[in-house]
Amino acid sequence: MRRSPAFEIFRYAAIALALALTLLPILWMVSMAFKPIPEWSATGADLTWIPRAPTLDNFRFVFGESTSDLIVALERTAWRPILASLLSAVFGTIIAMVCGTAAAYGLSRFGSGKNLPLALIQLRLFPPMAVMIPVMIMWAFLGLIDTWWGLALIYGIVTLPFAFWLMKTFFDEMPREIEEAALVEGCSRFRVFMKITLPVMRAPLASSALLVFILNWSDYLIALLLTTKNWVTIPVYMASLSSSMTGQLYGAKAALGLLAAIPPVILGIAIQKHLVRGLTFGALKQ
Amino acid sequence: MTTIRLENLVKRFGDFTALKTMDLEIRDGEFMALLGPSGCGKSTTMNMIAGMEDPSGGRILFDGRDMNGVPMGKRGVGFVFQNYAIFTHMTVRQNLAYGPKMRGMSRSEIDRRVKNIADFLQLTPLLDQKSAKLSVNILQRLAIGRSAIVEPAIFLLDEPLSNVDAAFRAVMRTELKHLQKQFKQTMVYVTHDQLEAMTMADRIAVMDHGVLQQVGTPLEVYNNPANIFVAKFIGAPGMNLIAGELAETDRGLAVDLGSWGVSPPLSDDLAAAARAAGSRAVQYGFRPEEATLGSERKGLRARVTFVERIGARTIVHAESGQAVKVVTENDVGFSIGDVVSIVPTPAAVRLFDAASTAAIRGG
Repeated sequence: MRRSPAFEIFRYAAIALALALTLLPILWMVSMAFKPIPEWSATGADLTWIPRAPTLDNFRFVFGESTSDLIVALERTAWRPILASLLSAVFGTIIAMVCGTAAAYGLSRFGSGKNLPLALIQLRLFPPMAVMIPVMIMWAFLGLIDTWWGLALIYGIVTLPFAFWLMKTFFDEMPREIEEAALVEGCSRFRVFMKITLPVMRAPLASSALLVFILNWSDYLIALLLTTKNWVTIPVYMASLSSSMTGQLYGAKAALGLLAAIPPVILGIAIQKHLVRGLTFGALKQ
Repeated sequence: MTTIRLENLVKRFGDFTALKTMDLEIRDGEFMALLGPSGCGKSTTMNMIAGMEDPSGGRILFDGRDMNGVPMGKRGVGFVFQNYAIFTHMTVRQNLAYGPKMRGMSRSEIDRRVKNIADFLQLTPLLDQKSAKLSVNILQRLAIGRSAIVEPAIFLLDEPLSNVDAAFRAVMRTELKHLQKQFKQTMVYVTHDQLEAMTMADRIAVMDHGVLQQVGTPLEVYNNPANIFVAKFIGAPGMNLIAGELAETDRGLAVDLGSWGVSPPLSDDLAAAARAAGSRAVQYGFRPEEATLGSERKGLRARVTFVERIGARTIVHAESGQAVKVVTENDVGFSIGDVVSIVPTPAAVRLFDAASTAAIRGG
């Protein structure tokens, strides 16, 4: 089919606009991360896309090194929040994926009725604020406030429905005959699950885990309510980067934002091959 | 090397009865085809033999041993699935070695068996390839190999050839038959393709709507269908059936076929059976291959509606109220609109009771 030139021009213009809307703010963040104070605090005609005097001062600043012209006393450096984010997001993802995958497999293969899966997804229909205050009280009773494991636990619980539903859809679509073929050979149910089902499902597993990880990694509300000092995460820490003198520390925030974008990007690239297959799993030849 | 007996086997899914009291004996070393249209209960029967589904009633016996409660891994059956069910994360070799490994065979024994089966199925050059990348034809070959390698006493195949292409299907029909000759397993083969059932099976069990219709050798079900369903289902095209009433003529008992005229007199055997059966309303049946076409006024009169040339033969469609087909030589001299006379071969005529649909059989 040949399209008219006018249509082609329109098509590419629309794509360019969509790309600009999504990518320019990110580029702006990258640019700001490398700008010294005068540049990131500039206004009007002084703003530039390319830093005129690129510097790593913003990075040095968030990691607590003294920098030449930014004299702000930081309550804490970025090291600890990065550790907090990594621990809580990684373990939260492990909890959600292990429990979600096991539950999804059980319900997909042996479950009857459809109410339980729906009950699980309706957990996501509550506005998080409605449940987070009670959770905060419970966590206080349990002594889990301001701990990375307390945060990991609630992350695991909150993202469990996602993990469950993604994996349930994949398990439902997986041809059961593959498992039956192994069962006929005398393989036990558990062994079939470990040696056949999970390896066959590694692409969907990888893409689900990535989605769950990104949800956990970018949480702000839960971490804001459940951490106070020792284990604040990157988003909470980022919000605190301001000073009475200069107001918001945009340069430092941009530097931290750039760092925070790295783990999901690395994970995404690492499992890219699986990601595409995982997202199109249903289209696999049967 | 096992006899399979199904006794009063029933399977219900909720309100739906997938299989109604089936009795069948599959003999030791026999190639039995379960043949029927989709939804006839053939796959359900197979799944119960394999142990994938539990019967709602009745028993399954292997050599007299009740299989109820025996898990599928302990039944000693091999199963080939329609969609191959290959372990795509493994190589061809790992797939083949899977069964022997699960049974705890020694390394050298596994290697020997993998080599033999790979040679037999021409998979040797592919042994170390990832199975995910193989073509559909090779996948099914591999699936057969993976089940055959442990030399199960019972080999179950669930429409194994319906996804592969036509040329390969012909090759595999021969290979499966060879495989069975070599290993002498009891084979149960589910298919909706009568060509597969006819060419490979020792006996065919024809099923419809959860009911076993007839069991017999391919020629038995072809020549002497037990009822109207089997008569229509077996054969391509199926048997011609014309509704009529028994009528005494001066040359003996015949069938009044209404606008077709009166049939030639029935053979003595069939006439005796029809008189004994007592029913007047019958279906008069004959195979499209068992009739001759002519223009003289002596057979069944009908108008040609279509001349279908299929290569080796020509199928003439003719109609007089109901349609019939006659398979003839290619040099057929008729064209659409001609009035023809169809003379069924007397020995090939079959009668069915119009009410019960059962065959009326002589002798």
